[in-house]
Amino acid sequence: MLLDLNDYRNDMKRCARCSICKWPPLAQMKSWRFSQNCPAISRFNFHAYSGGGRMALGLALAEGKLDEADEELSNIVYRCTACGACDSSCKYNSELEVLWPIYATRARLVGAGCFREEHGPIIESLRREDNPLMKSKSERGRWAEGLDVKDLSKGGQAEVIYHAGCLYSFDPELSKVARETVTLLRSAGVEVGIRGAQESCCGSMAFQLGFQGEFIKFAESNIDDWNALGARKVVTSCACGFGIMKAVYPLLGKKMKFEVVHISQYLDELIREGKLQLSKKIPLRVTYHDPCNLGRKSEEYVPWKGTEKKVLGQLIVREPEKTVHRGWEGVYDPPRDVIRAVPGINFVEMERIREYAWCCGAGGGVKTTMDDFALWTAGERIAEAQSVGAEAIVTACSWCERNLRDAAAAQGKKMQVLDIVELVKQAR
Amino acid sequence: MALAKDIYQQLEAVVGPENISGSSAVIWSYMYQPFGNTKGVWAETLPEAVLLPKSTEEVVAIAKICNRHHIVFKAMSTGWGIHNLPGVKGAIVLDLRRMNSILEIDEKNMFAVVEPSVICMQLQVEALRKGLNCHIIGAGSNTSVLASATSVVGYGPDGLSMGFSGRNLLGVEWVLPTGEVLKLGSLGSGDGWFCGDGPGPSLRGILRGWEGAWGGLGVITKCAVKLFHWPGPAELEMKNAQPNYTLKEPIKYFRASLFNFPSLEKLGEAAYKLGESEVGYFITRLSPAFVGLQMAGGMNFVRLWESGMPQEMLKYALLFVIFANSEGEFAYQQKVLDQILEETGGEASPLAETEEMQGLTAISVIKVDAVTRSCFRSAGGFNTSFGAMDTIDLALNQVRAGTELKNSYIKKGVLMEDGGDNSATLVFDQGHMAYTEVLLMYDNHDDKSTEGAMAYIGDSNQACLKKSLGTPIFQLSQVGTGKHGLFSPACFNYDKWQKEIKRVFDPNNTGDPTAYTEPKK
Repeated sequence: MLLDLNDYRNDMKRCARCSICKWPPLAQMKSWRFSQNCPAISRFNFHAYSGGGRMALGLALAEGKLDEADEELSNIVYRCTACGACDSSCKYNSELEVLWPIYATRARLVGAGCFREEHGPIIESLRREDNPLMKSKSERGRWAEGLDVKDLSKGGQAEVIYHAGCLYSFDPELSKVARETVTLLRSAGVEVGIRGAQESCCGSMAFQLGFQGEFIKFAESNIDDWNALGARKVVTSCACGFGIMKAVYPLLGKKMKFEVVHISQYLDELIREGKLQLSKKIPLRVTYHDPCNLGRKSEEYVPWKGTEKKVLGQLIVREPEKTVHRGWEGVYDPPRDVIRAVPGINFVEMERIREYAWCCGAGGGVKTTMDDFALWTAGERIAEAQSVGAEAIVTACSWCERNLRDAAAAQGKKMQVLDIVELVKQAR
Repeated sequence: MALAKDIYQQLEAVVGPENISGSSAVIWSYMYQPFGNTKGVWAETLPEAVLLPKSTEEVVAIAKICNRHHIVFKAMSTGWGIHNLPGVKGAIVLDLRRMNSILEIDEKNMFAVVEPSVICMQLQVEALRKGLNCHIIGAGSNTSVLASATSVVGYGPDGLSMGFSGRNLLGVEWVLPTGEVLKLGSLGSGDGWFCGDGPGPSLRGILRGWEGAWGGLGVITKCAVKLFHWPGPAELEMKNAQPNYTLKEPIKYFRASLFNFPSLEKLGEAAYKLGESEVGYFITRLSPAFVGLQMAGGMNFVRLWESGMPQEMLKYALLFVIFANSEGEFAYQQKVLDQILEETGGEASPLAETEEMQGLTAISVIKVDAVTRSCFRSAGGFNTSFGAMDTIDLALNQVRAGTELKNSYIKKGVLMEDGGDNSATLVFDQGHMAYTEVLLMYDNHDDKSTEGAMAYIGDSNQACLKKSLGTPIFQLSQVGTGKHGLFSPACFNYDKWQKEIKRVFDPNNTGDPTAYTEPKK
């Protein structure tokens, strides 16, 4: 079992209740307007919706003070994009886990059979169709029709396998990003293969909703398949997939004979090596939105297992010492370097970036089940981009793109949302 | 939901259904309060509902409903500490989180008007853009500006140049427990926010007195606070330096220096002289453990502590920061400092001299952002003792008494070993006021340790009485009636006046009396 709430009791019971989880790291705060870091507490306001409040609820649940079947508990638990901003802010001052107790609380509810009605179809779709989008798996590889690319579902092996991810595969507007990715890789001389109709979900949605059994099934199957296909490098455009493959897949203990690379890293590498040349000027003022799963949530996660002991009287130390995950080791510079490599571009940073970036609002199943909350959160990000005069938000995650585009359209905001691949394609 | 349905509906009609909850899940999230808890991390008394008012009008309406139905209410801003919760059954909580605007920054008159949930860091970043700065309390920049200005203590490490919260308070909008709105200072005569003491009623003494009413006298919905000149850039750019953020570029005319003195007496003499000379941005006496815990946690702290280095280098140490407007002023302040050091035998420690330490110290001094790190992460439980504000001499006596007493508990194994002297002595207003807080770390999930910590706090109160060290700052186990019962007889029976104030301002006793006082019967 990956997620056991009891593993996080010591973290939950040592929360200082200081509310630092509600803001970006204090030294990084730049204005009142963009001084929040957590969509849930910002939107719903009760303390329960903050990282600290969720720790308290997790502890109350673990201690039997709350019942898994409590309906309001379920509302609170799932009105959260699991973006991990609370965790990064907390780690600035402490070594407590905040995000993983949030995951573990969800797993606890699911384990007790208390999952939400709206999650049923998602899990059913994962079980039947290998995607959470209620799409037929037979349609999965259609995005690649007509492309000159090796389809491994028809046999053969490849050292570099491109994993498009669910949303890039099925969303009619976004699937061109997958096509352009393959085209770019091919033009850079990369012999890339895809799994076509046999590609399946990374399992991220199942994991984030607390269905750890489902997640493990997808993760193990993907690892086995990629190993069997001879992959040395799995390249993905899906930031959710990237995050889960980097942070959680290794915890399953299966040998991964391949390196996981996000497309932004790969493009950066190819540009540096001169294999991709960007020559067309794009005179656009752009900003970059850090996807949580590419940034802070892609950092390697080392769960702490050990014993606590007291030294110097009552000072509590852990043996072995704990690896502290601050989110600082996420993928932050490669996408920025790619943007800067585009001739004529005017790149400007927003206030909340990197490990303390504001979430787009789509994560943790929120886009699929609570679109109003997702759009509100994205609206806040668009406002932040507008505040620095950006004409376009560049990002590198299908869910971020979908949600930011939907929010811009719904709220009538003039803001382009570009995938980093689209930007590179335009600059070629 | 134990509130009568019709009362709940009346409250719901005021704030809207999204902004009231009596659900177990919401309530339990508020019940988690480790700081100030005398046992474990959960509060004992469950409130019946939590409300999120958005405006003064909503607070007024809630207070009137509470008065009609004899329901006790208690307001919180950021809600850090058990004193934020009502201590009586059947009460409701007003979480003022939605009242979080900076309503005005008046550059010319150097003040800001804020709502309750604006935190110090939010105000500071906006003030800096206008060449101004705000006082930040020692608990950190994650705390409410309004709460410390109007309701709870308000000391901070920048006190040398920016006073303390109670002194910085200007105009106030106050919803009394009855639901009436009272405007204090110049606001009371319709002349704006610029002054706390008139024209208009000056009731600062009743509103907060020395340490505040801890939310027991209604809800302060807006207040103005003084801002101060900021000689630095409009924005401080950071870089990552695991595990901290530090300054990307050094700040001009800023220098943090650490000095060692041959004795506590000499250190005190230097503090007086520095205050009298009216130089400096920040001054604090730092104890070895306090610095060590800022620098390291867990085994890193153990290794540092066992090396004996902080104890050796920081036995009688003073951190002093010069932050000047010009090269000439910087040189002048440095010259004054050098002369005082020569007179008092102070020697500069190389610890603070590196660019890295200058950057880190600048952030902790200006932004006060590392309190949770140094106080809570070691043992989980944290509390404080002593801390009456008086003279520098008395503050140093607090150090002596606290060290001796705490060491006796450390020997029993119930508190974390920190040499007994885990304290900060802050100096205010050009040196004529100062105080020392003696911090204690203990395991709040270990009954023996917790009981020991509480016994130490009890004994530290007795030490304050017996050695005439003033009333303690923030002993959460002793706020309200318990504290007054102990200290009032030694302090002109002040609680008689408090009880009378409570009776007159809150005839139905609807403002939670737990952390303040019961009305006169």
